[in-house]
Amino acid sequence: MKCLLVASESAEVLFYWTDPEFHIRVQEQYGPTSDDGEGPQHAFEDRINTLFAPIIISCSTMVDRLRESYTTFCTESNDIYVLHQFEECLYIAVNGDGEENEDDLRRKIFVIKKLTEVMFGMVTLSSTLLRKELRPQDTEQRRALWRRLQGLLETYSRLREQDQSFLVEAVERLIHPTLCEQCIEFLERRLVQQLNSSAERAGEEVQHAFILVHTKLLAFYSSRNASTLSSSDLLTLMLMVQHLHPSNPEIDDSSPEDIQDTTADPEVFYTPEPSPPEHPAVELGRTDMEAPMFQFVDPDIQMAEDSLQTLQMNPPDPATPTRVFLETTLKEGFFPMMPHSMYSLPLWPGITLVLITKIPSSQVAMSIYHFLETVAKLEKRLKDGQEGAVPQRGHTPIQDLRSKMDKFIRVLGNNEIQTSLLQKAWAEFKAKAFSRGGPGLSRQLVPYCRNLHTQLCGVFRQCFVSGSCSTQRLSPSLQDRALTMVQDKLLDWKDFLLVKSKRNITMVSYLEEFPGLVHFIYVDRAAGQMIAPSLNMTERASSELGKGPLAQYIKSKVWSLVGTARRYLQKGYTTVTQRDGDYYLCYFLWFENETGYKLEVVDIPSPPDSAPIGMLAWDYYRKLLRYYSKSHSSEVVKCYELFTMHLGVIPSDYVLQHCSQLARKLWEPSRIPLL
Amino acid sequence: MADSACPTDSRRCNYFFLYDGSKVQEEGDPTRAGICFFYPEETPLEQQELLCGQLAGVCQCVSELSRSPVRLLRLRGSKFAVRMKDHFLWAFSCPPDIPDVSVCKLLDQLISLFCFYNGPIRQSYQLHSRADLALRWARYLTHLQGGSSELHHIFSCLRTIDSTHIDPLLLLKAALILQACQRCPLVLAGCILYRGRVVSTQMPPDLTVKVMVHETESYSQQDHRPVANGISSACGTPSSSTGTTPVFLTPAELQALCCPPVNRTCRSHCTPQPPPRPRKSRLLSRTLSDTPPSELDAAKLDPAPTPFLCLSDESCLSPCPSSSQATTPEFSPLHQSENPCTTDAESHDHDLSNEIASCELEEEVVRGKMANGCSKKVELRMDQSKVEARGDLILQNGNGCHTNGYHQEPASDHHSDQSSGDEPPDTSHLKPLSNGAEMPDKEEKKKKEKANIKKDNQERDENRQANMKNSGRKIEVKDREGVGDGEMRENGMGRGESGEGESSEEEQVLLPRALYQHRVRALVLALLVEPHFHSDQAAVEEVSHSSLASLNGLEAHLRTSTPGGPGPHGPYTFAHYDCIQNTLTTNLSGRSVAPQDRSFVRATALLHSHFSQTQTLQEAIVRSAGAAVYSTRSPAQETYFLQHATSVRNSGIPNHLDSAFSLPNKARHRLLKHGVNLL
Repeated sequence: MKCLLVASESAEVLFYWTDPEFHIRVQEQYGPTSDDGEGPQHAFEDRINTLFAPIIISCSTMVDRLRESYTTFCTESNDIYVLHQFEECLYIAVNGDGEENEDDLRRKIFVIKKLTEVMFGMVTLSSTLLRKELRPQDTEQRRALWRRLQGLLETYSRLREQDQSFLVEAVERLIHPTLCEQCIEFLERRLVQQLNSSAERAGEEVQHAFILVHTKLLAFYSSRNASTLSSSDLLTLMLMVQHLHPSNPEIDDSSPEDIQDTTADPEVFYTPEPSPPEHPAVELGRTDMEAPMFQFVDPDIQMAEDSLQTLQMNPPDPATPTRVFLETTLKEGFFPMMPHSMYSLPLWPGITLVLITKIPSSQVAMSIYHFLETVAKLEKRLKDGQEGAVPQRGHTPIQDLRSKMDKFIRVLGNNEIQTSLLQKAWAEFKAKAFSRGGPGLSRQLVPYCRNLHTQLCGVFRQCFVSGSCSTQRLSPSLQDRALTMVQDKLLDWKDFLLVKSKRNITMVSYLEEFPGLVHFIYVDRAAGQMIAPSLNMTERASSELGKGPLAQYIKSKVWSLVGTARRYLQKGYTTVTQRDGDYYLCYFLWFENETGYKLEVVDIPSPPDSAPIGMLAWDYYRKLLRYYSKSHSSEVVKCYELFTMHLGVIPSDYVLQHCSQLARKLWEPSRIPLL
Repeated sequence: MADSACPTDSRRCNYFFLYDGSKVQEEGDPTRAGICFFYPEETPLEQQELLCGQLAGVCQCVSELSRSPVRLLRLRGSKFAVRMKDHFLWAFSCPPDIPDVSVCKLLDQLISLFCFYNGPIRQSYQLHSRADLALRWARYLTHLQGGSSELHHIFSCLRTIDSTHIDPLLLLKAALILQACQRCPLVLAGCILYRGRVVSTQMPPDLTVKVMVHETESYSQQDHRPVANGISSACGTPSSSTGTTPVFLTPAELQALCCPPVNRTCRSHCTPQPPPRPRKSRLLSRTLSDTPPSELDAAKLDPAPTPFLCLSDESCLSPCPSSSQATTPEFSPLHQSENPCTTDAESHDHDLSNEIASCELEEEVVRGKMANGCSKKVELRMDQSKVEARGDLILQNGNGCHTNGYHQEPASDHHSDQSSGDEPPDTSHLKPLSNGAEMPDKEEKKKKEKANIKKDNQERDENRQANMKNSGRKIEVKDREGVGDGEMRENGMGRGESGEGESSEEEQVLLPRALYQHRVRALVLALLVEPHFHSDQAAVEEVSHSSLASLNGLEAHLRTSTPGGPGPHGPYTFAHYDCIQNTLTTNLSGRSVAPQDRSFVRATALLHSHFSQTQTLQEAIVRSAGAAVYSTRSPAQETYFLQHATSVRNSGIPNHLDSAFSLPNKARHRLLKHGVNLL
């Protein structure tokens, strides 16, 4: 019983996702949707719209009149509704099956926000444009986009539910130092070098290359002049790769979930197989409810048939990269959403090579960001009431903006980019700001700033988001060559890697030293990496925890421990120990300098606006480290977390001794260089 | 604890309103038509309408979507507990740092308070004007948020007198007064309050809270005139007055008063417990209340008067068992066995009652049946000093014996487990089988009642009264001793379940009863009585006569006893919450604003809400940069402990030598002297 909805202030649905149960519930409660000629999907969308409209409207009324907004509703049956407003878009996440708590829902909202940022870049800075982007006029486009976002959301939910690295939101690496080092060397000396010196790269430049085995990182290489890839972006990329190539665990231990995962694969969309023979609206209600995802999206299948033409015209070329917008820090400064292309090349099922390239026109993006920033600053200044005439000479920021913008528009024009709207907005702005008789820099200028801002985002969209990216890419043959090179390199390791990814670390190796220890997770927050024994929940593979209910129970305890720890951390508690049933659970967060010297605890600020604690959607730990570094400016500060689960019969003294020994022991492996 | 610890922190409630959606259904209906009450009342009407309209609308929408009423609504700067019933919507908002569970509890308390004094909500809005009822809402609201510390807000607990500064005998005396009153068949249960704090109560905590509102209210009126409100009759001098006011009980509450509440405790704490034994547990208090006859009642009520007890000091012997059990919050056998001291005290107490009974023959029977049949004879000669010593012991053991009537019951339930059936003979010797002929009849009736718990309340009351008169019940219980343990268990279980189903079903129905109040200056005796008690002149006189002298005495004693500051201060802060009695013991004075106290309160709020969410959680230590708080809980209590900083800064890396991890030990030792036993 889950649902996620993005709506504009005027209660227009910009995006929605429901799970089958929610779909059924709505159908049951309000009768089946009537087909209004535009397909049942459309009718259901209308219904969702009607159902949530009062909440959305009330929410904007509260904001307008009381400067307050709803954040949560809980019902007596423990349904939870979490609401969050980003700019002019309201996000609502609903859970009615008790599988997610408030924090999970809020996190989901932040994740979908992060995904839109990675997908649309600076377009998200303008609510008007984001609205259009999330809800394209064209029905086919809209469905394709929503399908993609829905798939990403489902992939995220699955990973958060199954994967420890997505639980704590840190990257998990395969622990095999030798192989890891060899691979990094290979990526550096052979692969990236060859790619970047090839003539077929069409101006793109490989910045990062990494190999994923399922969700675990085997090797990662960044070229020398590249900006570091932030943990948040890396996790998002992993999520997108998982979505493109869902880890379909080996045939020998496929579980029901895995089957469902396969069906969630977007590629199902393109295969003719699920096409219903009859009118889909009739089938919708009739088909058995246990059937996985596609049964409920099958209203779209009609659409799929309609749009088969479109899709065939524009076939999903595997060589087409995905446009992603990543944070970069260059010598020119910090740019939050720079366009990159992501090539994810499946080596074998479960093993993927990912290349992130910088695209040639990224200079334009930098300029746009620069202008956006200047305009936003100006707008803020004007709102604060700092007014005055524009000085006619000198290198004031505003004169600087003027000359640069003029030049920028000229350059864009040469590159066959539609700039008429931007030109118009700029001309209006200039007329107001620089003309002698005009108001100069005054509050009246604010709407013009707005417009300029929007038009800049529009140009960004035109350059980087809409269609044009498909023409720009590494040539398919080059991609093939890269793929073959890495395949050759890893051929002998393939099976080992697949097994290793399931049993990266086993608890057995710790039992002798730490009797009574059931599970632990160790996270290096500065590096964004984690180490934890595998927790395999699949039917066949039994771990040391046994299988079935017990393993499932322990897993649920670990998951709730992480949730609890976050809740306390949010309030400034860095140590939490709990005796819970038959287990003793501990959580520690601490700071060290680079040499391992322990730094003392400080009062930790709570994240603003109840942002979730994690690294994927909103990098809390980076802000925490930045905050802490303020008082330790002379040294590099590192932040670590340790979660442990012991049997309750172990005296708490021993438990704590274990924890400190464990922290010491785990400190070493985390030193393996990532690069 | 003490009066001094009452800051006027009324910021607990930001908004409270009652909105009647049925009044606003047409397009043209103004929102204001639906606003029954809005707090703060000086809020501009426009804003009232905005809040009510938006919240009611959005809650309606969400509850339709979820097919379940909204319980909690959070805004960025505050949270609202919401209750939706029929077309009514209550919303109670407070700052976000108060735990969800506390806010919801507060709202429920407020609503049930209103219903207690005014009856069903819809009906009262038909009978009375909005303005009248608004006054009452305001009054209840002030009462609930008035004058307690933030800790009290978190636990929404009863305010009790500080038992550590009171001669324990006074508490026993108070208990005895209540039991004496209860001998009048029209009296259901009572409590004694002093300056707005509970001295002794026979009622479940939530009922005591309700009764207290009236007390506080009349206490504040005291300065001006003697109590006179509603249809009540008022009489007496300024220093002593009596009055009655109509009240409404839910069937569940009434049942709890008329029947043993053992099952209720089982319901609220789904932890393994000894099987509930209906009826039997009630016995002890009933016995006691039956025993001390002041001459005139005895003749009228008891077929077999036992006039050797009166409200003298000597009589303090008898409530002893109940008090001791009341102060033993953990009544699970497990804990009992860990706590030999308590067990010992209890078994002494039984002997004590036996001694009072002074029926050697019966006692022989009892002892024969006792599982642990160790010799008791020696202890039978219990003298006054010994009793006093016991009183002290008891008080240290638990956190006060102010709720004897009610809470002895779970405890005595257990105790009967231990030494099975020493009471029945105890009672039956007091009432020799004078009415043996009626016995089978009653027995039958009882069984029927057991089988069909949903039976009419009236009948149950009759039953109860009848039992009181002829003590058939006791005999029945005695008989039942022969019944196998298993069967009892079954009965108990069955009862518990049916009771649960019943409560939800009958929630709508409210049963009128009356609240009788006898005030002696700051001391108030409040009794829940049958509705016709008021018209029964004889009963009124009986109750008032039997208690007046003792009340005067008690008042005088309480007045002269030192008010006492908050408990002994040490280099630590603690809070001990008794979930069963709903009382709080703490050495944190309400006024203190030391940063350490702030962080203690904050941690306590968090941990309390964690406890309420996670049933399996037993103990936790949380540490921030400034403070470490240890907390532990059992089914019956929650304890929070903070050691004042020795300001050893640490890194937060796991280290077993860390001072935070020595907190459990420190708490165990330090809290012993506050009567909190964590061992």
